This record gives sequence, structure tokens and C-alpha cells, in this order.
Amino acid sequence: MSDAAGRDAERGPYTESEVIMSTVRVVTPFVLTFGLFVTFHGADSPGGGFQGGALVGTVVLMLAFAFGIDPTRRWLGRRAVTVVACLGVVAFAAVGLGAVALGGGFLEYTAYEALPLHDPVKLGIEAVEVGGIGLIVGGVIAGLFFLTAAGPAADDADAGGDAE
Amino acid sequence: MIAPVGYALVAFVVVAAVATALLRDVLAAIILFTAYSLGMALLYTLLLAPGVGLTEAVIGAGVTTILLLLTIAKTVRPTDGAALERPDPRAAVACGALALVFGLTLPGLPAVGDPDSPVVAYERVTGYYLSQSYADTGVENTVTAVLAAYRGFDTFGEATVVFAAGVAAMVVLRQEVFT
Repeated sequence: MSDAAGRDAERGPYTESEVIMSTVRVVTPFVLTFGLFVTFHGADSPGGGFQGGALVGTVVLMLAFAFGIDPTRRWLGRRAVTVVACLGVVAFAAVGLGAVALGGGFLEYTAYEALPLHDPVKLGIEAVEVGGIGLIVGGVIAGLFFLTAAGPAADDADAGGDAE
Repeated sequence: MIAPVGYALVAFVVVAAVATALLRDVLAAIILFTAYSLGMALLYTLLLAPGVGLTEAVIGAGVTTILLLLTIAKTVRPTDGAALERPDPRAAVACGALALVFGLTLPGLPAVGDPDSPVVAYERVTGYYLSQSYADTGVENTVTAVLAAYRGFDTFGEATVVFAAGVAAMVVLRQEVFT
């Protein structure tokens, strides 16, 4: 038992498995499509930016679970996830401040009626749901996963446990 | 038709929750916690709250499970043979008292979907949202209309809190980017 526990700790969190890889390869496109549908269709059906963003973020987790955390990390690039989460906050604030710039209150979508847009209130809600909440939640979920996998930065990580 | 399914789900969720608290093997506890979340997601959907059910399924059953699995991959299993945790009597009494108090409030709640429940019948805010949200926002999902339009500023705060939680994790782990 203690031998097995020791090996578990040395091996790290990733195990290569043909079953998991095949399953993820089949399931991922459907989860991604469902996540995007829930995000973009949230105004007219259950769901929205939070649930959809979480589903899209889960796709990254599934890929990392099946094909390894470090390859997924390299595939995404060093800054992509952080940039996505930051973009979400900036987009949400920009929609709010844009209404102020057009003479309304913060996030008062009716102010966008000054622009030549079709149904500006609904567009504003969609922008906040998709470009704001969706990006923030998706980015933070993928980010928390990679952070948990990486553990503390090297300067104070203890010698055991972390196999990376 | 719905009532037996609902009672079966409640029984499943309660058993999964108690087993999660009592099992000593962390991996088994995590798997049972996932089952608990899945049961809760189905219950929410049965109670006509599909948005909450979707969130519980993705966050509770999906993301939390993977984060917990990642965490225990960095630990070792307990080596003694006991399968069940011996519960602390004071904690058990506190949990039982809390469950009892919540249980006593249940008969006071209106039935699910009751048109005469105070929230629907007397609450002017809810009635306004239900009758006016489509005319005001052009959005068919009233929940989205409330979250993103009527209470948009609250939602901005909530979304920023999610972002801040990610940043806090980065600070604690002394990383500069998520990946």
C-alpha cells in the first residue's frame, strides 16, 4: 500500500490511457458545440455566459486530462488563458462605460439606441454575456486548473510531491 | 411521475453526501461527491431550474472533481485499513441540528410552481420582471434579462469577483500567468 502510494506521488497527476484519449476525442467536439450554444443562445434559452463559459473551459480540462497537462499548456501558449480572462473584464467594463460615454448610466443599454444598431439592448446583453462573463469564467476555470496542476512556483516548492 | 423520481433523487443525494463525509479514502469521497453533484443537478432540473442544474453539473460535478483529483494526486493515501472516518460527536450533533432546523422550515415553503406563492402573487418586482422583461430588453430568458440588464451592475461585480479569485490563486502560488 505504501509502495503504491509512493509511486502515485512520483508519477504525477497524468496517466496516459487509450480509453480516456479515445473518449475525449469523441466527446470534445460535442461539449465544445454545446458550450458555445449555451453561451450564444443564453438570451433565449436556459444558460448564458457563466454556464457556457464554464463548459468551454471544461474542454481545455478534458484535453489536458487525456493528452497531458504540459502538452496542453504548451499548445495554449504561455499567456493565452490569462489574456482571455483579462479581455472578459475589459469587455464587460467597456460595454458599461460605452453607455456612459453615450450619455446613459453605467450598463444602461438603451443609451446604445443612439447608434445605428438593430435591437441595441439585446446586443448589449449578448455582448456582456458572451464577451464578458463567458470569457472571464472560461479563462478562470482553465487558469485554476493549470495553476493547481503547476503548484507553487519553484522557489518555495517542497522537494516531494510535485513531479514537474 | 415526477414525485417518485424526486424522492429517489433526494435519497440518492443524501446517501452520497453522508458517504462523502464518512469515507476515509479521499478518492472514493471525491467520486461520491461527484455523484452528489450530479444528483443535485438532476434535482434542480426536475425543479424547473435548468440554468442552476447546468451550473451544478459543469462546476460541481465536472470542474470541482478534476481540481480535487489534481490536488490529491500530490498527496499520499492513508495507510491504516479503516474504511470509514469516525465522526466527531460534536460535529455530528451540530450537523444534525442544522439539518433539523432547515427541515422544520420545509412545510412553510410554497409548493413548486404554486401560482399563489408570495414570490409570484404579491411580489411586484417579480411580476414586473415576468411581464415586462421581453418588452424592455427583447430577451426571452427572464433570468438573463435580470442578470445582465436589470441587475447588470451586480453581475459586473460578480464576474470581477470570479476574475479576482483566479488572480488570488496566482498570488498564493506565486505564479505570474495562469498557464
